[in-house]
Amino acid sequence: MCLVEVEKSPKPVASCAMPALPGMKIKTNTPVAKKAREGVMEFLLMNHPLDCPICDQGGECDLQDQSMAFGADRGRFTEMKRSVVDKNLGPLVKTVMTRCIQCTRCVRFASEVAGVQDLGMLGRGSGEEIGTYVEKLMTSELSGNVIDICPVGALTSKPFAFKARNWELKGTETIDVTDAVGSNIRVDSRGPEVMRIVPRLNEDINEEWISDKTRFCYDGLKRQRLNDPMIRGTDGRFKAVTWRDALAVVAEVLQQVKPEEITGVAGKLSDAESMMALKDFVNKMGSDKVLCEGNGPSPPADLRSNYLMNTSIAGLEKADVFLLVGTQPRVEAAMVNARIRKTVRATQAKVAYIGPPTDFNYDHEHLGTGPQTLVEIAEGRHPFCSTLQSAKNPVIIAGAGLFDREDQDALFSTIETVAKKFNVVRPDWNGLNVLLLHAAQAAALDLGLVANPTESIKSTKFLYLMGADDVDLDKVPDDAFVVYQGHHGDKAVYRANVILPSSAFSEKEGTYENTEGCTQWTIPAVPTVGDARDDWKILRALSEVAGAQLPYDSLSGVRDRISMVAPNLVHVDEREPCTISSEVKPPVKQQVSSTPFKTVVENFYMTDAITRASKIMAQCSATLLKK
Amino acid sequence: MAAPLRRSLPSLGRTLLSPSPAPARMLSAAASDALVEIKPGEIGMVSGIPEEHLRRKVVIYSPARTASQQGSGKVGRWKINFVSTQKWENPLMGWTSTGDPYANVGEAGLTFDSADSAKAFAEKHGWDYVVRKRHTPLLKAKSYAENFKWRGPPKAEQA
Repeated sequence: MCLVEVEKSPKPVASCAMPALPGMKIKTNTPVAKKAREGVMEFLLMNHPLDCPICDQGGECDLQDQSMAFGADRGRFTEMKRSVVDKNLGPLVKTVMTRCIQCTRCVRFASEVAGVQDLGMLGRGSGEEIGTYVEKLMTSELSGNVIDICPVGALTSKPFAFKARNWELKGTETIDVTDAVGSNIRVDSRGPEVMRIVPRLNEDINEEWISDKTRFCYDGLKRQRLNDPMIRGTDGRFKAVTWRDALAVVAEVLQQVKPEEITGVAGKLSDAESMMALKDFVNKMGSDKVLCEGNGPSPPADLRSNYLMNTSIAGLEKADVFLLVGTQPRVEAAMVNARIRKTVRATQAKVAYIGPPTDFNYDHEHLGTGPQTLVEIAEGRHPFCSTLQSAKNPVIIAGAGLFDREDQDALFSTIETVAKKFNVVRPDWNGLNVLLLHAAQAAALDLGLVANPTESIKSTKFLYLMGADDVDLDKVPDDAFVVYQGHHGDKAVYRANVILPSSAFSEKEGTYENTEGCTQWTIPAVPTVGDARDDWKILRALSEVAGAQLPYDSLSGVRDRISMVAPNLVHVDEREPCTISSEVKPPVKQQVSSTPFKTVVENFYMTDAITRASKIMAQCSATLLKK
Repeated sequence: MAAPLRRSLPSLGRTLLSPSPAPARMLSAAASDALVEIKPGEIGMVSGIPEEHLRRKVVIYSPARTASQQGSGKVGRWKINFVSTQKWENPLMGWTSTGDPYANVGEAGLTFDSADSAKAFAEKHGWDYVVRKRHTPLLKAKSYAENFKWRGPPKAEQA
């Protein structure tokens, strides 16, 4: 399609491969150029089946577009079209290999971006085909992107196959909340149902890719949903009630408990508005025990630089040495990992890793499994020190899994010692990073949901779980009253006394801050399920019934309140870096323990209520995870 | 680098987050020269649009390129999203119904050449709007000939 006519050249010239030279006379719209393009198109379509009407790519197919623009209205090929056996690439990617035009984009994506050498080109001439040689599933956390990359319908989405045609879908540009990256996505819905999720370009965050968890978690939005307020009766069974009754019951219990026995826990998918409302409500009831799961016993909320990715995700590309401490970016934040891999490939940056043995898709050096190695580096005794010393832009990435450790303060002070020693933080370069795990974490720390989970939950009599499913429910006292407000009937529902249904990220307007401190909004794509309401609205209603009315009753009101607490959360689409250095911290007396770092994310495909409810994610964990 | 370019735009959303009933002097200078001056929200009022639809909150955005296509024909347009989700499936036929008269206007009916014309339209109708940043690809100069460039003898570790 790039063929052009160049004066004095006997044949048409492929403009994509020919450097333009001075004095060249190039003609792009002549009969010769058009005929040449038509010829190329005819060759491309020679073996391509004419099954556009039943092809999932039909309507958003590059080959369709190209043949409309450049092709002839007939072909001269009368022989049998070739056919190719379909390959099994796993539960996510459906293959119809006869449609393949051998562009090898998927091969290049797999080996260059995803970093798995699974796909390749086999055979020659008309026997040429894409395949895995021996039957093998594509085990990459980015494998779904080959669906977008394929210019024809050879690789399509297996869960989406024959579910809808793409022109029926309504696209809503929103963001993903299944990890802390906040990938930009488009939620395609038909009527009240989410049909698929596709990536949206954002060079600062996810470039043009998304992880498989982001792309295929959407069927979890339709399963296990809570749609009515429910109260657990004396027989232990839930009974659907009206909102009025449910709120009245909760308010009555609230009157009976002492203020300091009230605890509020925000879940990992909570938006900033609802966390603000939860914090205001719990504080108004007289308690300061309000926290967000995943932030550990003493959240490092004093300085924003202590919990953000200060280099920024795009900034990682400038780094030349990476030191990963207790973090497995491939499963914790697949898009950040793709960025590190990109840097490693482009500039031969060195990666060193301290933590349990894990899979990497780039060259790395495994320095050790526990904090001892970190201490050795801090004291300059480790051989890796010379690499760090000679690095121009070193980057240290600490995992949010370290927040849960007893020796958290000592660890972070050791990391800071390393940073100081090797000049990681300079006026022109901040290479000290924390990689968060959940979408709610950064905003929760900004808003100050910082109570100690173990203490608050152990002594509570009234526990308000706002989508929090991963709190240690065994520690909750038996006589405690547990309210679960959330969108999925997940783990915590088994302990709940009252269920208040709320809307999921695809159904509400919410503010989320990602791991690098970039504030983004979700935009509702589909209506909520049943009688569910937005999280902050439920809390606002409850506050009125409980006699401690919150001073806002609209989304802009909540956002005004947020702007008083954390102004960065209202500057949407902007990354607000931390400007204060960490020099001002008090000295730490704690000792580093010798317990090795643990794997934080055991199952990449199932990390929260939505992905745990998803059938596709269950299939993925069954077939793709190595056991 | 396109990133600093993109950053240099002030956050348009910020001005709109304040609880603004009607921003003063919204239509451009050209409007004040005209014989008839249109006040913000007036168009909506005179065309008999119900009160509740004159106070809509809308999002002005530029749709991203479809992930699976490379063509640029539809890139760069601006649309208005009415953030409406009042939808249900008709239990008899399974058709989708909506309780929002604007739901399909934003999806199918309206496109603008620039963010400014979309803003002017929203102002004319008295809608409270937020403009979302448009994301554009970072283009790096590459040439095919680079692939064959002599970069000196291969290094030991790469071999």
